[in-house]
Amino acid sequence: MRFDFLSEQEVEQVHQATLAILKQIGIHTTSPRFKSLLLNSGCLEQGDRIVFPAEVVEKALSTAPKEFKVYGRDDSRVLEFGKSKAYTQTCVGTPSVMDLDSGEKRDVQLKDLEDYVRLADALEFIDVVSPIFPRDVPQEVIVSAETVAMLRNTTKPLRICAESSHEMKYIVEILAAVVGGKEVLMDRPLAYIEVSPLSPLEYGFDPAEALMDIVEAGLPLGVIPCPMMGSTGPMTLIGCVAQHNAEILAGVVASQLLKPGSPVIMSPRVTFMDMRSGVGLWAMPEMGMAAAASIQLARYYGIPSTATGYSGTSKLADAQSGYEHLYNALMPALIGTDVLAAAGSLDNVLTSCFAMLVMDNELSSVVQRTIKGTEVSEEKLAVDVIAEVIETHENFLAHKHTRKYLRAGELWNPPLSDRQTFEKWAVKGEKIEEKARLKAKELLASHQVEPLSAEVDAELKQILQRAQEHAQHGGGVIQKT
Amino acid sequence: MKFELFSQAELLQIHEATVEILKRVGIHTTSPRFKVLLMDHGCQEQGDRIVFTEDVIAKALKTVPASFKLYGRKDSHVLEIGQKRAYCQTCVGTPSMMDLETGEKRDATVEDLEEYTRLADALDYVNIISPIFPRDVPQEIILTIETATLLRNTSKPLSICVESARELPYILELLHLAAGGEEALHAKPIATIPVSPLSPLEYGFDPAEALLDVVEAGLPLGVEPCPMMGSTGPMTLIGTVAQHNAEILAGVIAAQLLKPGAPLTMSSRATFMDMRSGVGLWAMPEMGLAGAAMNQLGSYYNIPVAPGGYCGASKVADAQSGYEHLYNAMMEALVGSDIIGSAGSLDNALTSCYAMLVMDNEISSVVQRTIKGVEVDEDKLAVDVVAEVIASHGNFLAHKHTRKYLRAGELWVPPLGDRQTFEKWAINSEKVEDKARRIAKELIATHQVLPLSPEVEAEFDKVIARARHIEMGE
Amino acid sequence: MSNFNELAESVISGNFGRVKEITQEMINKGVEPLQIINDGLIAGMNVVGVRFKAEDMFVPEVMMSAKAMAGGMELVKPLIAETEMPSVGTVVLGTVKGDLHDIGKSLVAMILESGGFKVINLGTDIAPEGFIKAIREHKPQIVGMSALLTTTMLNMKATIELLKEEGLRDQVKVIIGGAPVSQSFAEEIGADGYGSDAMVAKDLCIKLVGKAS
Repeated sequence: MRFDFLSEQEVEQVHQATLAILKQIGIHTTSPRFKSLLLNSGCLEQGDRIVFPAEVVEKALSTAPKEFKVYGRDDSRVLEFGKSKAYTQTCVGTPSVMDLDSGEKRDVQLKDLEDYVRLADALEFIDVVSPIFPRDVPQEVIVSAETVAMLRNTTKPLRICAESSHEMKYIVEILAAVVGGKEVLMDRPLAYIEVSPLSPLEYGFDPAEALMDIVEAGLPLGVIPCPMMGSTGPMTLIGCVAQHNAEILAGVVASQLLKPGSPVIMSPRVTFMDMRSGVGLWAMPEMGMAAAASIQLARYYGIPSTATGYSGTSKLADAQSGYEHLYNALMPALIGTDVLAAAGSLDNVLTSCFAMLVMDNELSSVVQRTIKGTEVSEEKLAVDVIAEVIETHENFLAHKHTRKYLRAGELWNPPLSDRQTFEKWAVKGEKIEEKARLKAKELLASHQVEPLSAEVDAELKQILQRAQEHAQHGGGVIQKT
Repeated sequence: MKFELFSQAELLQIHEATVEILKRVGIHTTSPRFKVLLMDHGCQEQGDRIVFTEDVIAKALKTVPASFKLYGRKDSHVLEIGQKRAYCQTCVGTPSMMDLETGEKRDATVEDLEEYTRLADALDYVNIISPIFPRDVPQEIILTIETATLLRNTSKPLSICVESARELPYILELLHLAAGGEEALHAKPIATIPVSPLSPLEYGFDPAEALLDVVEAGLPLGVEPCPMMGSTGPMTLIGTVAQHNAEILAGVIAAQLLKPGAPLTMSSRATFMDMRSGVGLWAMPEMGLAGAAMNQLGSYYNIPVAPGGYCGASKVADAQSGYEHLYNAMMEALVGSDIIGSAGSLDNALTSCYAMLVMDNEISSVVQRTIKGVEVDEDKLAVDVVAEVIASHGNFLAHKHTRKYLRAGELWVPPLGDRQTFEKWAINSEKVEDKARRIAKELIATHQVLPLSPEVEAEFDKVIARARHIEMGE
Repeated sequence: MSNFNELAESVISGNFGRVKEITQEMINKGVEPLQIINDGLIAGMNVVGVRFKAEDMFVPEVMMSAKAMAGGMELVKPLIAETEMPSVGTVVLGTVKGDLHDIGKSLVAMILESGGFKVINLGTDIAPEGFIKAIREHKPQIVGMSALLTTTMLNMKATIELLKEEGLRDQVKVIIGGAPVSQSFAEEIGADGYGSDAMVAKDLCIKLVGKAS
């Protein structure tokens, strides 16, 4: 199976435009450390901007690894980046959640984060867990607290988004405590960490510093700016993709200059402004098409990638979110991305929804089934079987070939969908959204996560405490200057 | 944009399996006319079956037109079949209907057929209309009545599936009247007529005769068998595809032997049996995968394709039907599809639903937008625009490049979906299914269809009366 | 009269050059400056507001109209005393500390300006102290804060707390906005209102100014 959203020539055109942007416009940064890293490695100062000669870009692209792994607490939960497996990741940082009982939107609490992570742990086709955004946690140590909550409630690999660098030290300590030391963590990273510079082409202090800290800690880095077509990027899909590719490559290049061969992920997120209202859209089809184009560039560079995937603009789990999420996931998956994010999200990734996560688990299952493709072999083509069935005036039901491939899983087995007769279905007459909600409730009531050892748990508590003390003594974000 | 489910080597392997099936297993038919046609052109009798030679296959495939046009009663409805535009077609022959008021399933009536057709006429991204199956009309003349009802309630192109040749004369008469005569209909066909032989590889009397009559009448033919993986086809997707390809090609070959250059489509419908219940599934992902596979074969032969796609196993217009329909249609369209059928259907193409048709109109819009792809050129890559915006410390909103491409339609405008802020949406808190239902009601209440002339209307009545007399003895 | 119509139309179509031309012609002919503003520039912008709300106009077009109006205003302004300038009220706007996102706030600024508000746009990454300083300097009726990041939205609360400490909380209404922000969050941190989009923000400001005066 091969999907080319752009032709080879078009990919080359976008690549050349990207190089032109990096060479002529470059980036701006307020981090002196980031600036000297680039300037010391062949980038040039041009007014208040730093521009990238093509040789610097190309050299850095050649050292970025094509494959690496990220692990879960549980040994069987391994992400093989670079193999285009379309893993599914829960949505990061939504401030709101749809209450599982009332169905109403409300602020996220720590309890929701714990439940949501546990639900994700229980769902077979959710592979990576990212935190939603609880309000009742001290904001100075929010990412550390989220990381601890996730580690306690899932054994799956994590994806953490670091908007600033001030918590990096504690995050690394937390992960190291769970895996058994910082050295082990480098070999078996329990998380990849993404940073989000601003569009267009702005590496502010926090993301720039965080980027370098992550690379230095030896954890896989994701570069995830988020331009909005028509406001922080050009009003053409392909123009936005080119600019976005340039701002992602700037981060990729920096990571390779700092530590050649360090694992890095291109995480394109081209979003769109609804020009009638100003709403930032993570909707179909632009989101999926831009992701397809961007992921094709990552494929061209041989660098692992993630795309948004399971997102849309619908406000609740309904038919619209169903088709939006599938569309946006399918397009980059067919190109060959490694991770599809935003599972369980609604309302342009502002809200998380338990029922939607159960539905996205289903979509993930079908997407992952799809990219496995269809094997063509003599036995599967079954010409002899057809001849035999017709010769004997039988049907295929009675043939052993049928039993064999039925058992081998030739039919997809939906984790959620209804496939009954109308009459059986009508006994309950349940819409899929309702079925998903009930399934979420059942799983939350029954699913057990393998706990951390008492010692590790105590250590995490201590690290959190230290982080908080440090923050209260002036190390945090909220400080009066 | 290019999507290939199979490599060239795999495609060739499937093609060779198909040829082997046609050569070794062939077809069976009870139509002497069909049999004679095949035998006269080099096919061979082998027991009770007719097998094809490579020469016959190769020769017939050469004369199939790669494209043709399909017209509506209204001049603006012109479909270029063969250009892979993923035209959306309503589902044929569903015996049930979701009632627009109660939301309950019930038998379809002729009033439903009228309203459903009118709704389809009103929806921008539904391009071809096929009749649902009303239960309150005499079954002896059902196709005649369906055709008349379609023509009275839409000016879009039609697809009329015939199970036998019996009513074909009346259908043709109606089409002639609507098109303005036999010659006009030939020049600008307003309907495609699919026939559905049985799987595996069985050309029964009725479909075989109908196939020949449709080709002789000069209307575009659809060859539309409907195997079910595991029961009337092998329990492997690819095996069912190979067999399905063979049974479709058999019809394609017959059409070309009868009249070289006759326009037609490969109208694949590979379905699946749920082995726990015996239910015949038109569901995701198998339906979309098999449809996509058949489309790639169609491209290989350079023959237009028309699979079913806007379908799924869900029983109501809900999230499941949303993602099922999108999946099947997208997979087929990305490979390249001329027509995608089954729009508005639920419950494995057994039920039609007004709200679902409005949702499928939305999905069709996004599918058709997707396959247009994106253009890559210097102006659209906008490197200079990025440079200017950054140099001026401004943003893109104020740049003229933004206004230019906004007006040029760079953003998709959903015909149905919600894109508002949560707060605005929350005023009505309307699920998309409910919105679709509301829109369906509004369109049925307000949409005006290009009427037939009173003379044509009167002639229609005469044709129906004659059919009633001849077929029912009234 | 037809000239006012043409001026308004030029604002609506976002024709910057034409707006400046007509305004200058009117000034040269001795037309009353306030009339140029009210019957021409603002009249045009009011239509833009209505059309935008009805989703008949797109954001970039509204921006062009606002720019065109500003072009006209620039010519008229020197001719009238500051106190005579028609103004619905003054709003100080900024993106909170730690957040460099600019677009949403700029949209709000534009819509407010075109609605007759005087807007002091502080820019991005504004610490609580920055808001305090601006309030003392510009004496606005309303302070608007914006955030896109969940990790920075809490700085809105820090600003409100500092407003209280500095004894300024009663002198201004506080409104907030940004993708992750909600009505419940506004209530939680003690803000006076939340604008879910730019038009809502403008209506909110009009309502709050009514309350404040």
